[in-house]
This record gives sequence, structure tokens and C-alpha cells, in this order.
Amino acid sequence: MSNFIIDMTDIYKRYFIGRPNELQILNRITLQVKKGEFVAIVGPSGSGKSTLMNIIGALDKPTEGTYCLNGTDIGKLSDKELSNIRNREIGFVFQTFNLIPRANALKNVELPMMYAGTSARERTARAKELLKLVGMEDRMTHKPNELSGGQKQRVAIARAMANNPSIILADEPTGALDSKTGRMVMDIFHKLHREEGKTVVLITHSPELASETERTISIYDGAITSDVQNPKYQSAAAPTESDQSGEEVTA
Amino acid sequence: MSFLESIKTALSSIAANKMRSLLTMLGIIIGISAVITITTLGSSLTATIQNAFSVLGANYFDVYVEEEWLYDEETDSWYPNSEANLEDNLITTEMLDRLYTQYPDCYYNASVENVGSASTTNALKETINLRIDGIMDGYLSYNDFDLVAGRNITLRDNIEEKYSALVSDIFVRQYFKHNEEPIGKTIAVIDDNGISRDFTIVGVYQYSEIYQRLVMGDSREDDMTTDILIPYITAFSMMNREFNGFEYLTLTCNSTKQAEDLTNELRSFFEAEYADTPGISCNIYSSLEELDIISTVINVVTIVISIIAAISLLVGGVGVMNIMLVSVTERTREIGIRKALGAKSSNIRLQFVIEAITICLIGGIIGIIIGIWNGEIFGFIAKFLIQQNEEFGVLFRTIKITPSIGAILISITFSTLIGIFFGLYPASKAAKMNPIDALRYD
Repeated sequence: MSNFIIDMTDIYKRYFIGRPNELQILNRITLQVKKGEFVAIVGPSGSGKSTLMNIIGALDKPTEGTYCLNGTDIGKLSDKELSNIRNREIGFVFQTFNLIPRANALKNVELPMMYAGTSARERTARAKELLKLVGMEDRMTHKPNELSGGQKQRVAIARAMANNPSIILADEPTGALDSKTGRMVMDIFHKLHREEGKTVVLITHSPELASETERTISIYDGAITSDVQNPKYQSAAAPTESDQSGEEVTA
Repeated sequence: MSFLESIKTALSSIAANKMRSLLTMLGIIIGISAVITITTLGSSLTATIQNAFSVLGANYFDVYVEEEWLYDEETDSWYPNSEANLEDNLITTEMLDRLYTQYPDCYYNASVENVGSASTTNALKETINLRIDGIMDGYLSYNDFDLVAGRNITLRDNIEEKYSALVSDIFVRQYFKHNEEPIGKTIAVIDDNGISRDFTIVGVYQYSEIYQRLVMGDSREDDMTTDILIPYITAFSMMNREFNGFEYLTLTCNSTKQAEDLTNELRSFFEAEYADTPGISCNIYSSLEELDIISTVINVVTIVISIIAAISLLVGGVGVMNIMLVSVTERTREIGIRKALGAKSSNIRLQFVIEAITICLIGGIIGIIIGIWNGEIFGFIAKFLIQQNEEFGVLFRTIKITPSIGAILISITFSTLIGIFFGLYPASKAAKMNPIDALRYD
């Protein structure tokens, strides 16, 4: 077993949209991410980064190639097993938050644990703990439409952490937020990475955000064009640490 | 995700669209309430009729003898056996004696023969009008009259053509004015032809409440004409008629045995009695069979109408399916989120099926309550209308509104099944959704 959390070898993803047209989205992607790394995947729209994210997040299977997530070969799993992998190994954070509108913050955070079969008491305790971690302990009974964008994203991050997954997979997490709240969300990722030792994969089209992570992987036309360590990492994260528990500016 | 949590989720989604859920339920509510109303009325009608039968003293058997009917192939018709002589083969008192001996204190003959009006005069020279009826030993019990003093007219009184008599308690007050003990007294009864005969009072009876109200009316007790009950065969001789036996008689029964067993008992007894008389057959007919037939007819009608009403449940079910499909489409994104968070297809399917079942069950329960309530209202109206009518009012004193427990259980089961049946397709559609597409859905 490799010591990589994400271990992709020669991944292809093709869609058949009728012969002879074959749409190749990913073209021989080979990628390894170590446990505890904070990685950014950048690329313009249509570069294939969303498809790559879906495969990393076990929402989709590659057409060709092998992808081992924390030692498990995803290509060989059934739908039911993929559900389990998503439930336990992946914590999704979406650009549009994707909270369940009818459920309050606490229930939203409890949801992945509900599918994991955690007992009600344990679920509530853990959800409260996580909401406290993202600074949302005062808003636990609020429904998503009573929360600002930044607050919603913080609830979403707490939800992503619910089953203590191997990877936090964030797809443009600041895309729908203003720069100040976006900054706050980024700080939470840094905190999770540094204090909780989480592996974080950030998908973004912004080179600026990418530069504050440890490593930037650029993809273009379905292939990796560069994979570099970011020298700025330490300096970018440190100064903002004091702002983490600061008051949210309602959007 | 546990079953209980699925129910909670379902309830919260129903609560989120209250009006829509209620309108969806309406089909189920109307269907179930119609079925429950009909079955409640059906079972109440059966119970009421059974009750009326028992008020009328329903436990009786009709026995009659007739010539056997023969079939003529040439003319394709039936004709009575002319070699049989019915007149010489009637049911005799000897046969009854043997029946009573074989089954002591079980069967009584309720036959009655009206002789006509008569009168008598008491010590105060007051004339008291009477009707004379010749009766057998079962007349009182058949008519639900009570013997309040003395003894009944027996088979022996009949065989020996005694001049013994039963008089009513009303007559006792008219004749004796509370002064004397009537039993053993002899009264002179003058019939229509002016012939006076002496009868010895052996017992005093009291009319049943129904008989009193229907036959006697509410005239003053002093003016009432009551019945003097004398032996059946004595009555025949008073009318100068010869008694050869009964062609037809009604037997009442004092037994806890099943009607069917009693019928078989009587059938085998009379078949044995008529074994040596070719061409004559004896038939037994039970009133309880009649009750069974009425109950069966009501039940069949109830079931048929219920099935017709249940068709509206299918329409309701289609409504549920329709709204579930809308709900699945509306919540495509939610389904995508749930799948991304680790919900299995089976979790999603269960969630939507339970939602459909919950809608149907709530609708079903509301329908049951409305149905029972309708039954009560209709029952109340029926009761009111019947009690406007003096005669029916006595018979149907107790109208029992009994919701059919069976129908309620079937309705609950049926609502659940409708939820499963019509919820499964939308739920499967939700379960099969691709999480990537579902997440992208706006």
C-alpha cells in the first residue's frame, strides 16, 4: 500500500457522445497527494478540473487508469461501496454551499453521520463540536436561509468534517463569497490543515488562492501542465491567523 | 439512516408543503372515508336487523308436510303425487308427543287458531269482551308473552280437549277487580252463536310490550278486549271442525344449539316419522336461515359498493404518485447533496417511499375518522326517521352504529400499500439519479 492518500495513475476520462465523436476530458493524469498535504488544483473553465474533482471525490469513475483513495481502488467498487467511500473518506465543500434548505445548521452537519449510522446522541455532540470549531456555535438552530454566505460555507465545512474524512475536497469554496468572508473561509481551511492535520484539496481558477497552499497543480485541456511547491505558503497563512474567530460580516 | 429518521424527514417535507400535501391526501381521504362510511352503514344495518329479529323472537322453525312432486318428462312439468293422501298423513299430536319425549323441554308448537269474539259476565254483572284463540303449548313463548301466574296450556290439554284457559292480566283486573285469586276459577264464555261454555282458568299471561302497543293500542284498560287462550283442539271442536293434524306448524325452540344442528335434528326426526308414508315429504325451514340470507345480501352489497368506492383510492394513489414525481424533480439537488454526503440509493428510495406512505397513511387515518363520523351522522338520521314511525320504532329501538373494525384495518393496510405502490416509481427515479447531474441541477 502506498503512503499517498490520493494515488492516481494514467487516468483517462472519456465521454461518448455518439460515434465517431469521443470527448476526452482527462488525458493521462498521474497524481499523488500525501497525507496532510494542502493542494490546489487550478485551471481555466473547461480544463477538466471539475471532472478530476468528481473522480477524486468518488462521484465518478475513471474510464481508464487506477485511482487508489487511501489504499482503496475506486475503479473496482460498486455504487453502494462508492457511497460508503464518499461518506467516510471525503468531505465535500461546494461553491454554492449545498446545504439542505429545510434542515437547520445542526441537522445539516449531522446528515453524513446519519448515513454512517452514528447514534443520535453521538451525532449531536459531534455536530456541536464541529460547529464550534468553525465558529458557528451561536447559529446551530438557524436554517440556511437565515444565514449569510460565509456562515453557510462554515456550516458546510463543519459538515464536510463530520465523519472525520481523509480528504476535504473544496470546489471553489470562496467563489460565491465576497473577499472578506472568502478570506475567513480560507483561514478555516488553513486551520484544519495545520491543527487537525487534514488533507485539503482546493479546486479553484484563482492562481492567487492557489498560491497560499503548499502545492499548486495546474491542469489544462485535461492534462497536468505544472506541479509546483509554493514558497509563499508559510508567509501567506500566518498573518491572518488572528482573524479566525473574528465577527462575520453579514453579506 | 434509521426508519424513524426517515419518517421524521418525511414529516418535515410534508409540513414544508402543507397545502400541497393536503390536496394530495384529499383523494385518499375521500376514498377511505367513502369505504368506511359504507361499511359502517352495512355492518350497522346487519346488527340492527339481527337485533330486530331477536326482538321478534326469531328462533323458530317452520315444519310442513306436502305431497311429493313428481316430474313428467313428456310435458316437462312437475305435478303432485296423486297417490299420496295428505289429509291422512298430517302432523299429529302423537308425533308431537314423541318429539317432546325425545327432546324434553326443547321444542314447542306455536300454532294458533282464531275462533272469534266472545264475552263473559262477572259477579258485578259487567260484560267483558274477549277474543277466543285456540293455542298450542308454544304460543306464549313465540309471541314473547309472559306467564305471570298458573301454568301454560299443554299438549295434554289439547289431546284431552280440556276446557282450560289462559287469560290476560288485564282481564283478571277487569273481571275480578283484584278481589279474587283467578287460578282455578271457572268463567262462562258466550260465543258468537250465543252458546255458553265454562272454562277453568289455569294461568294468567301478560302481553309483550310490542304486542300491547301494536295490537291493543292505547285504549282505556277497562274497554280493552283481550284474548282468552284455550287448547287448539278444543277450539276446533267449538267450531264443529274435526282436527286431523297439522299441515303446517311453527316450532319455537329453547336451546343453545346452533340453528343448523337443530334443523338437522328436526329433519331427521320427521323423516323417520314419514319413512313409511310414500309420496309425503316433510320440510323444515329455519328463520335463522332467513336472517343469514339477509345478512349475506347486505354484506355482498356492502362489499360491492366498497369496491366501487375503493376505485377512487386508485385515483388518489395516482395523485400521490404525481406529486411525488414533482417532489423528486424539485428536490433533485437535495438528492445530489445527500448522495455526495454518502447516502446510498437505498437510503434515497426509502426516504421517498416513506414520504409517500406517510401521505397515504395520514390521508387514510383522516378518511377513517371522517368515515366513522359520517356513519354516526347517517345512523343518527336513520334513528330519527325510524322513531317518527310508531311501528318501526318498537322494532328498531336500538340502532347500533358499529364501525367495522375489519374495514378500518383493511383501510390502513390499503393506504400503506397505495403509498408503497405509487411511491416506488418516483422513489426509484430519485434513487437512480446520478449525483453529479443532480448536484448541477438548478
